[in-house]
Amino acid sequence: MTHLIELRQVYKIYAEGLESEVRALDGVSLTIDQGEFVAVVGQSGSGKSTMMNVLGCLDIPTRGDYLLDGTDVRDLTDRELSRIRNKQIGFIFQQYNLIQTLSVLENVELPLIYQGIDPIDRRDMAMEALERVGLAGRTKHKPTEMSGGQQQRVAIARAIATRPPIIMADEPTGALDSRTGLEVLDFLRRLNKEGSTVILITHDNGIAATARRIVRLSDGKIIEDHDQEVDWYT
Amino acid sequence: MNIAQAFKMAWKSIWGKKGRSALTILGIFIGIAAVMTIVSVMEGMKQKTMEQYAAMGSNRINVSIYSWMYDADGNDISRDYFPDLYDFCAGLKEYVEGVTPSGYCSATVVYGTKSSANMEYQWDEMGNLTGEVPPQIYSGSDQYSRCNNLTLAKGRDLALLDINDYNQVCVLGAEAAKTFFGSVNPVGQKMQFNGKDFTVAGVYTARLSEEDSRYSRLDNFIVVPYTTANRVLGAERATEFVVKARSDEAMTEATSRIAGFLKGLVNTNTGGYNVYSEDQWRQYANDSLNMIGGVLAGIAAISLLVGGIGIMNIMLVTVTERTREIGIRRAIGAQRGSIVAQFLIEAAMLCGIGGIIGIGFGTLGSVALSTLMFQTTVYPSALVTAGAFSLSVALGILFGSYPAAKASRLQPVEALRAE
Repeated sequence: MTHLIELRQVYKIYAEGLESEVRALDGVSLTIDQGEFVAVVGQSGSGKSTMMNVLGCLDIPTRGDYLLDGTDVRDLTDRELSRIRNKQIGFIFQQYNLIQTLSVLENVELPLIYQGIDPIDRRDMAMEALERVGLAGRTKHKPTEMSGGQQQRVAIARAIATRPPIIMADEPTGALDSRTGLEVLDFLRRLNKEGSTVILITHDNGIAATARRIVRLSDGKIIEDHDQEVDWYT
Repeated sequence: MNIAQAFKMAWKSIWGKKGRSALTILGIFIGIAAVMTIVSVMEGMKQKTMEQYAAMGSNRINVSIYSWMYDADGNDISRDYFPDLYDFCAGLKEYVEGVTPSGYCSATVVYGTKSSANMEYQWDEMGNLTGEVPPQIYSGSDQYSRCNNLTLAKGRDLALLDINDYNQVCVLGAEAAKTFFGSVNPVGQKMQFNGKDFTVAGVYTARLSEEDSRYSRLDNFIVVPYTTANRVLGAERATEFVVKARSDEAMTEATSRIAGFLKGLVNTNTGGYNVYSEDQWRQYANDSLNMIGGVLAGIAAISLLVGGIGIMNIMLVTVTERTREIGIRRAIGAQRGSIVAQFLIEAAMLCGIGGIIGIGFGTLGSVALSTLMFQTTVYPSALVTAGAFSLSVALGILFGSYPAAKASRLQPVEALRAE
């Protein structure tokens, strides 16, 4: 059967052949199936962010194959990769990555604009996503006028507005206090229960412990990959 | 991404940095205003020149005949060909309305206390003419008025008898009549040309409006019989003649017939001739003015080039500043084309706004300059205005394309790393 995500001996090497060569990913093989909740854990510099960039089609591996839904992404054009990022993947970043000059609603609408959805449907979909994160009343605000937790909720709304099958979160709680961080995690779990595949990148073992599956990275290699029982899933 | 959305985004970005946008626009709008002013002032000048040609009447054929013959003692014994030309034209009634010498004559003209020798005039700093302009004295035949689009306002015209009898009479242009006589009726009055009495036979109607006439001097003249001018006032014999044809088609026919006639008449060993329709002159004047205008507009366009480079510079800065934003947009699915469109539209909009302001200033400039230079108000034509706007938008697209291409080539992962 085809896996949703399959990495085969993937390398990401910077300055290859030079003395300063860095192997951010050093022969990683991994499969992730539809509906999983995977935490990719590792110290800073372990290659977990590179992994997220590769998985999210933001970066192309130096060597090895990445099959997304059975398609090798190295065969895809920039246009097709953009479309995959737009429709298949919802990104949540540590630094929220909202566009400061746009309002909350406009930020959430942005991926829908790039899908070419007409303004009325677009607004409905964006409003629905904002309602789900509890920010329907603050659509006109600029990101700078909001707290970190609220900004991250806007980012989550933007990620889910297109209803992508995969959610990728890179240290989504890293810039938040622990209580707000827990709310964000809770939300990710809820999305997973509803059928989304969630990939959570974190350096925090405590957060990783709440995932059904943990993939541990060190020096660009997978050193641990196991499933665990978690109470929230039942 | 649809176009309306892209325009909205571009406007947001421009409005978000008002000060910078205004300074960027400055280069474009000064350039556009300069080019527009020059183009429309040249248009006005052309229009004015053509108006003067029109006032002189159409279907004119210019004939010049010159000869040089001297006897053993060095005396000029060249032949006067005009009587032959006059008779030939009289036989061409079907095509020709009239023929006259187009000669100049310098003489001091006096009436009462007014003397052309004492007349003074100047242009003040506003471009207004003050003082009195001495009239031009022309020597002509009895058909002078017909050849020069003149009609009588008072009295009588020059007659064949005046020519044959060397009568000391003259007919005044409207402006000259006003200068010398004011409200007095000039007909029958005596003026002194170099101290000799000349009777005013008549006055012509003005060919241009009063304002225009004053500045162009087209109506500030006096005509005397060419025979009298030669004998009494010592004027040189005319070598330039004007033939007035009855129509456009008649002009072509008359031109070739007169040329044929002169070929047989003028001895090419001792002289020569030239026949050309005034349309050729008109065309030549038009072409020259177009060329001058083109050169001036080209010089002004250099400022547009500088303005365009300013746009490119500021767009490059914008791309650098917004690298992270570009990364975010790419990450959530923006195509390269969307990024290109975003920055291109922003540059084109910036220049378009500059163009609109430039058109405003250019219109003011054309009106002010044309009023100052030739006392008419010239508004830029719709074509010039549309051209100026298209030019500014095209500049935006031209100079925005490099920064836009640079923005679209950023790798999403690199762009996201930018601070």
